[in-house]
Amino acid sequence: MTSYLDQIPSFVETSKSLKDVIITNIIMTGQIPAPTFAEEKRANMLLERFSSAGVDRCWLDPLGNPVGVIPGTSPDKPPVFVVAHLDTAVDRDVDHNYTVTSNAIVGSGITDNSTGVGVLASLPDIIAAAGLSFVSDIVLAGVVRSLGAGNLAGMKHLVGNWKTPIRGAIILEACELGRLSYFSEGLNRCEIECALPPSPGGRPRDTANPILVLNEVINQILRLRLPQRPRSRIVMGKISGGSRHGTIPADAVLGLEVQSDSLEVVRSLYTDIRDIVNGVAHELQAGLKLKSISEQAPARLKFSHPLVKSAAAVMKKLRLEPVTMPSESELSVFLSRHIPAITLGLTHGADAYLPEQARVRISPLFKGIAQVVGVMAAMDSGVCDG
Amino acid sequence: MAKPWIETHTFHHSAFSDLSRLMAAKQKRRLSVSLCFPTLNEEATIAKEIVMMKSDLMTRHRLVDEIVVIDSGSTDNTMEIAAQYGAGVFRADDILPQLEKFRGKGENLWKALYVTRGDILVYIDADIKNIHPRFVYGLLGPLIQHQDIKFTKAFYDRSIALDHNRVLPGGGGRVTELVVRPLFSLFFPELAQIFQPLSGEYAGFREIFENIPFPIGYGVETSMILDIYRKWGLNVMAQVDMDRRVHTNQDTRALGKMAFVILKTFFNRLEKMERIELARELFHEMIRFDRRAGEYVADLFAVKMSERPPMMEIEAYRNRLLKE
Repeated sequence: MTSYLDQIPSFVETSKSLKDVIITNIIMTGQIPAPTFAEEKRANMLLERFSSAGVDRCWLDPLGNPVGVIPGTSPDKPPVFVVAHLDTAVDRDVDHNYTVTSNAIVGSGITDNSTGVGVLASLPDIIAAAGLSFVSDIVLAGVVRSLGAGNLAGMKHLVGNWKTPIRGAIILEACELGRLSYFSEGLNRCEIECALPPSPGGRPRDTANPILVLNEVINQILRLRLPQRPRSRIVMGKISGGSRHGTIPADAVLGLEVQSDSLEVVRSLYTDIRDIVNGVAHELQAGLKLKSISEQAPARLKFSHPLVKSAAAVMKKLRLEPVTMPSESELSVFLSRHIPAITLGLTHGADAYLPEQARVRISPLFKGIAQVVGVMAAMDSGVCDG
Repeated sequence: MAKPWIETHTFHHSAFSDLSRLMAAKQKRRLSVSLCFPTLNEEATIAKEIVMMKSDLMTRHRLVDEIVVIDSGSTDNTMEIAAQYGAGVFRADDILPQLEKFRGKGENLWKALYVTRGDILVYIDADIKNIHPRFVYGLLGPLIQHQDIKFTKAFYDRSIALDHNRVLPGGGGRVTELVVRPLFSLFFPELAQIFQPLSGEYAGFREIFENIPFPIGYGVETSMILDIYRKWGLNVMAQVDMDRRVHTNQDTRALGKMAFVILKTFFNRLEKMERIELARELFHEMIRFDRRAGEYVADLFAVKMSERPPMMEIEAYRNRLLKE
């Protein structure tokens, strides 16, 4: 373990020496709009960046995930994956032109996840500049269709169709530096739609209001008893409907997520919500529909897993205090298939009310990248193999 | 029958995107390249421009040998940020300080000749929001790969589809279409083949730039094309399609001032080329009447047409060349 730990300070210096390349890759990523299901241009850009950095084996898989492989020295060892999701929750029509200040990059999607993708694109240059070679192949993948209704489709496709075993994986997220995620909660992401039937002659004033119907659903969900253990919660994440102050809307949609450490609890709560929806639909004679977008079983590594311990040691070497938090993202795809994986944050940043004002800091990024390279070295030395 | 210039001297930046190949051609010809950003209060965009060019054209490929910023006296943090990201930063007034001082983009471009060392100079405006290395390698490509081309100019924005495979731009900006293109069509129809004569991105060999005068203000792009055309002909020029360029649009009042300066520059060149003879000198003020508080008030825009001579005529520059 000591050998790669000793090298970690030099990884910081190597990253700093490639500051312009790293910032450029982040900007080039972020300036291409990539809402979920429309990531093609960003995927092609990433492939082009891999190729121009000298990665000979790179391709787009059938689902559109750009993949680049840095060959390892031993063909027998399974590959190490480094992954960042390509899609953003930012609409295409938002200004995607970035600004660089003396210590920040500012622009829409920078925290989720242009920084992660930009660092992924820079890894071939960083690895070459550090003079590193790995036993395992290093598989660098930008994955499409991760967020919302994308339901991690790109990640599932990539891992599900990979022909060989996978040694381990690192998922890159922009924020926050120090984040160490090694478990994902069980969840059910769902939407409740309320729509009025079409009414050619206009709607009477006493028609059921879809917003009020959803309000009744919310009130009844809030009355549900949630267990303290396993830890469980229901997050009302988004709501939309209506266009004018004085007009009853034709429809409204509520997006929510049931989260728990137990899949049984997730399913039980989902059943409760379904009963509530059916009951309100019956009593108010409203067109209510509950739709499950995705279900995910909880999965985790133990804190004592060598990958987690090694990652914590790498962070400590960089004087970073590991902060444990669950990850609902690509991590779950690996963990649910019993592939050791962690999610790491790369720098400090903040979203803003206006998406184009989101920002990340530049100077902490070099430690963030050094930790990634350090954990890659740890995985290559065998900490995932037990 | 020879193909028209527009067919043989119009390129797309993607033709030069193999940077390793371009770099090899540059090395073979033993060329060096200086990239210059003229600035005035560009702190919002200058860092991004420098970082992107350094990354792909200096760190990853050695296509550019130096990046310099020539500043007209910014009052924001343009110079500090540019220096922080590794550009050579100069205040225009500090270059050749023994000469009379002027303020303007043309002044910065002209003084860049004195402080840079490259055989080729690339000039890029510092206000491009969607900056990309193509803006530089696209301009360098024809200069490096075609021996007869000495000057390249960028154009942008596609809008006219000739067929399924060929799309040509709809034209230039408002001043180009309303002022420059009609003038070119009247006096130099050959030059009407240039899509966007006023674009702020161009590159050329030092031997070209050091032998032409530089107007200080808006007229520099127009005069540059006319002077190069007059001295070396159209075939040393090429134009390169850069796809899209995002920048801040100016209002019509500002464009009117620009058009005024360009018209003066144009007539000046027409006289020098003995294409027209004006019976009397042109006036120096653009006049625009506004109505304020019920009164008509003249808003006057006075222009002193200053112009730097060819840099080769500057003794300090010739001495510098001799020392090298």
